[in-house]
Amino acid sequence: MKSEPEVRTHLARWVAERSRSVQAEEISGNTPILERRLITSVQVMDLILEIEQLSGRSIDVSRLKPGVFKDIDTIYRNFFGGPSS
Amino acid sequence: MNPGSEAVAGLRTRDDGHAVLSGPLLAASRRVDGLFAKWSARWNAEEWRFPAVLPASQLDRLDYFRSFPHLVTFPVVLDDAPENLARLVSGPALGDDGAVRLPATAPVRDVLTPAACYHFYVELAGARLDQARHLTTVASCFRREKFYRPLFRQWNFTMREVVCIGTLEEVASFLSSFRELLTGYFTAAELPVAWQEAADPFFGGAANPKFIAQMVDPVKTEMVFSSELAIGSINSHRSFFGETFGITRGDSPAFSGCVAFGLERWLYALLARFGPDPERWPAALWEAA
Repeated sequence: MKSEPEVRTHLARWVAERSRSVQAEEISGNTPILERRLITSVQVMDLILEIEQLSGRSIDVSRLKPGVFKDIDTIYRNFFGGPSS
Repeated sequence: MNPGSEAVAGLRTRDDGHAVLSGPLLAASRRVDGLFAKWSARWNAEEWRFPAVLPASQLDRLDYFRSFPHLVTFPVVLDDAPENLARLVSGPALGDDGAVRLPATAPVRDVLTPAACYHFYVELAGARLDQARHLTTVASCFRREKFYRPLFRQWNFTMREVVCIGTLEEVASFLSSFRELLTGYFTAAELPVAWQEAADPFFGGAANPKFIAQMVDPVKTEMVFSSELAIGSINSHRSFFGETFGITRGDSPAFSGCVAFGLERWLYALLARFGPDPERWPAALWEAA
């Protein structure tokens, strides 16, 4: 499994590739991904698949809570079991 | 309120689930819309008025037909070839089931308005805004539902919307200030309304990626009367309409948000709370605004 910095960098790049408005370096841990619409609602499912692949754990979509994909800090805390920075 | 159990001054109901207003209730509906207009004036919202139809090609840009096929209502006209029209004229207009025996229809290119604010984004397509715009409209809207009940859930209903188009921050500030204003009003008017996060009724429900997206990123907060009925909602669209219709604020796609009120549902709530005679409703209802 990738280290925390690698996961964060991977997620920032993944989001930036789908966003037409920001570069990966501009996405910090608390950049709001959905609020700023860096990815669209349809891409949320792709994000779930990406997180599953990265973490090696499946995500039960029916149990997702509001705000779990707010930013990279929150994603890391919720799906990779590490502390937020 | 249990419609029919108590005579409401100025209310008639139809079997198809629509309400017919006159006299005191019609006057009350104008006063209620006056509240909405008064609130919209705090943002100097410019009032527009739109036709009842929207081009289907514009709604298609929103992916509306894939998202809400179960809600849509199309206006249908007949193929105007004389022989086709003669087919309707020559036989009984209705079948045994009461449905119109339609001959050939003309191609359908429009939709009856499902939400008042859509018109703004269509009209402002390509606009470059150098400041936030606040707009308001009231529209006769249509949504097909599983059941209808007068005032409570109608196929054809009246929606007042106040819209802000601007930056993320401008829209967020508009929505939070409006929410604060309404919270104060509900308390002062003694209306039992609670804020509740909700999702739009996407076709396919939890199987629809858009529904899941709204679940994890709630963009709709409803004003729920008496734990029973949503009488309005506050909605953040992010930059969805700005991107779809090329509306920019500064150099970026504009963000937008709206506050929507269901006029008939407000009447339902007021009747349930303050009784069947609108002329005896408390003055605080109007003064608290």
